[in-house]
Amino acid sequence: MTPKVCLITSNLTRFNKAWTQTLRHLGIDYTLCIATSGSASATIQTPQGAFAANSPDLRGYFRQFDAVILCDHALTLSETAVINYSVFWLSWNDPEDPAFLFFNPHFSAAITESAYNSNFPSDFPIVRPNPSDLAGTLYAADGGSPSAGNPLLAGGQSARGACIQFLAENTRAHVMTVCNAHGASGFVNVVPYYWKLNPALHSTLASTTYTHRVARNGKAGEIVAVPAPPTNTEDTETYPSDCVVAYRYRNIFWLPHTIRNLPDTVNLLSWYLVSNWTPMLFWLLYGLQIAGVRPRYRLPVQMETDHPLDSFASTAPFNFSYLQQMQMILAQYDYMRDFARGKNTAVINGVRVGGRHRTTSITFHWNLMYSTSVPAEARAVAQQVNQLLIAGHREGTLPCGVHDHTAGNFQGGYWLGDVRAGFRRHSGMRYGAPNNVPINRGRCCVAPHVLPAGVAPPNALTVQVGDAEMVEWDHTMSGTGDTFDLPLGNIHAARIVIESEIEEMLALGFPDGYCAGHKYTNTAANASGGECYWQALKEFGFRGVRSASACNDPHRTKRVVANRLWHGFHLVADIGFDLQASGAGYTRGLYYPNSPTEGDGVRHWQLDHSSDISSGWTTNPALAWRAYRRVLCQGIGNWLFATAVVLGGFYIHPYTNSMIMSLSDPLARFDGWSKQNVIGEPHYCHPVELLENMDAVVRLLPEYLYWGTITDVMDHRERVMDG
Amino acid sequence: MPVRFLRNASELADVSMESPLPVQVANAKPVPADTLLVATTNMFLSGERDLLGSTSTELPTLDACGQYRKLIWFYFRDGAAPTNYRVLARATDHNGAPLGTGWQELATGTLPGGANSWNRIDIPASGDGYYDQYRIVVERTSGSGYSLINKIVGVRG
Repeated sequence: MTPKVCLITSNLTRFNKAWTQTLRHLGIDYTLCIATSGSASATIQTPQGAFAANSPDLRGYFRQFDAVILCDHALTLSETAVINYSVFWLSWNDPEDPAFLFFNPHFSAAITESAYNSNFPSDFPIVRPNPSDLAGTLYAADGGSPSAGNPLLAGGQSARGACIQFLAENTRAHVMTVCNAHGASGFVNVVPYYWKLNPALHSTLASTTYTHRVARNGKAGEIVAVPAPPTNTEDTETYPSDCVVAYRYRNIFWLPHTIRNLPDTVNLLSWYLVSNWTPMLFWLLYGLQIAGVRPRYRLPVQMETDHPLDSFASTAPFNFSYLQQMQMILAQYDYMRDFARGKNTAVINGVRVGGRHRTTSITFHWNLMYSTSVPAEARAVAQQVNQLLIAGHREGTLPCGVHDHTAGNFQGGYWLGDVRAGFRRHSGMRYGAPNNVPINRGRCCVAPHVLPAGVAPPNALTVQVGDAEMVEWDHTMSGTGDTFDLPLGNIHAARIVIESEIEEMLALGFPDGYCAGHKYTNTAANASGGECYWQALKEFGFRGVRSASACNDPHRTKRVVANRLWHGFHLVADIGFDLQASGAGYTRGLYYPNSPTEGDGVRHWQLDHSSDISSGWTTNPALAWRAYRRVLCQGIGNWLFATAVVLGGFYIHPYTNSMIMSLSDPLARFDGWSKQNVIGEPHYCHPVELLENMDAVVRLLPEYLYWGTITDVMDHRERVMDG
Repeated sequence: MPVRFLRNASELADVSMESPLPVQVANAKPVPADTLLVATTNMFLSGERDLLGSTSTELPTLDACGQYRKLIWFYFRDGAAPTNYRVLARATDHNGAPLGTGWQELATGTLPGGANSWNRIDIPASGDGYYDQYRIVVERTSGSGYSLINKIVGVRG
């Protein structure tokens, strides 16, 4: 049976393309219908004609769908007409009627339209929010403080926190949850809310037999999800027993916000701003699943890390030694290997190569293993990490690929300048010293079939980059030495760079430099260079790399091709989630009062709403839990965006998040102030928390997500792009 | 008896795998235009920036476009504020490297259309494109901010 849903919006200008992008990736067919207004008198324009919102014709039309989805939402509860036309559908509850999915529905008491109010079901068990009586009709969520803007518009940052208990599944998960939101204006100082249940009405519904395919318990009313109770007494953010965040009323699902109503264009074809990400996507996937919409495709979930071995010379205020840093790294990768084994996923790792030939910095993988500037005991642990990675690479749990911050001029990735001064290459193989090889393009003929005899010398080379094939001669050559200034923007340079990276991987003990069968790596700084590097990577066996849209930043002369697929070579979108900005080096905590700019998770992801974390951090233990919830909700939300919308690569740098872990119990789960790190702040282990919380989400969505690999991601990109 | 044909006006060649008979494809499915970009530009911001929001003057908005004779830029603007636009282009070598710095300006002017209007700009306005890189920049010069919703397709034939 072909999955098919109907999307309803009243304003195509504000319609967010993430709706359709996600459905396409899931292989769910959709029909987009337009409501002529937000009023109950609106006409619904369908491909089979325009029908009155309360007409039998519309009801009959809807019955071909698995679900009908309301896409529009209010920004404040004061609005009077957003989806008033949908009030009639609340009574379309026969087994032949589809499921209706209302996300952040606007059913405020501020609605004055009599047709709405008179048709609103009298037995509906959720109290209608009243902007004049917020405390009496809603529960302020996540501490109740206003966001600087509107939490409904949050993108890749500014999340609100929530830990949700899913009752039928008996599962807790951190997913960003806002049921309704309200502020004096729709755009500033807006507070998130959860709903208040009418227990008597719910009790009646919950004891009324009801038959519909989506009524899992056979009853007319079902509480689907509530705020999860705290797991530690110091977490005092609790909600009354009549607080709900998701409810099924017959075949009608009342669900939290999912995709904002703005003209965002987020898809494989274009770039995407962090502000356009959709961190509340979970609720769309969950809503579709409980509505019984069976997608053609499940989406693979996978995570990547950059720099499995790296270090800092100074780690104030933690003052970790190199040995302690290596021990924390070892613990994290040991955990990730076990996790990948258990879940049948593969954690991709970009090994920071370049240390063997181009830098003596002891932040590099090679040098941490071999430089005598690193204390011997730290080197020994670094070598254990390397052995763990090799074993994980061979068994498929921790595939490793090249990740070179020394190829360009700016400690980034590929092609980051015109010339890389003093480039030092490897020895042997095809492009290593002492082989005298081209390092820049020479004179060339782009039409070799008409090249007159005698113009090109006998040693002229045929060069192909993409569709362009030409004959080149009179190249700039490397000579026999190992060090020279390397012009970066040509395929000859790309071949030398990539071969030297693979040579280092082989010397480290890996059998290849491209994540084994995945034939993939995550490029340094997400800089994949451009056509000449993509061609060279293909020649060395790569199928794809992770890449930013501006793919040789900061040189900034290139962009990835429009569909991120160049002659079959994948340029996978990058979605990073560390707990600090790169300029801050390493994280100081979920929150740390004396952090430098963007040096902790709360600051970096803009989660300190109305200063409701920073203002009481040292006096109110509950705020550590608030910070924890917000960080995890942002991370899981961004990861789901990478998984479902851009089919990208979600990644972290474990070593930058190491110092906030407990030295004695590094893999402990977060437990507020009850488990502290070396400076007496709350302990937090980034990979453990992200992977285990995402695992809860995957378990909640078995028909939509599965633990997969980057190969699955690239396979799926090809599948949906072909379609 | 081998089949032969006249190649390069004067050379008689045998038909073989290496030297196939030149043919013109007929009744083939036409190649549709390729969608190259779908993006919403935030015109609440001031200053000149490209359709993807970048202010880096050497950064292309679109790359690897050499196969397209023309680009068609469709846009919907939900505000009427006066806005300047410039269409810049340049060629790259076969490695993808721009032949030089800077750009050739193909078009400049005031962005046509009022509030909630649909519009289309052909790039280039006349003649063929075949440039490898394009940078399309816009700048609201006065008035209120708005959203500029863009789609660009590349046309081969």
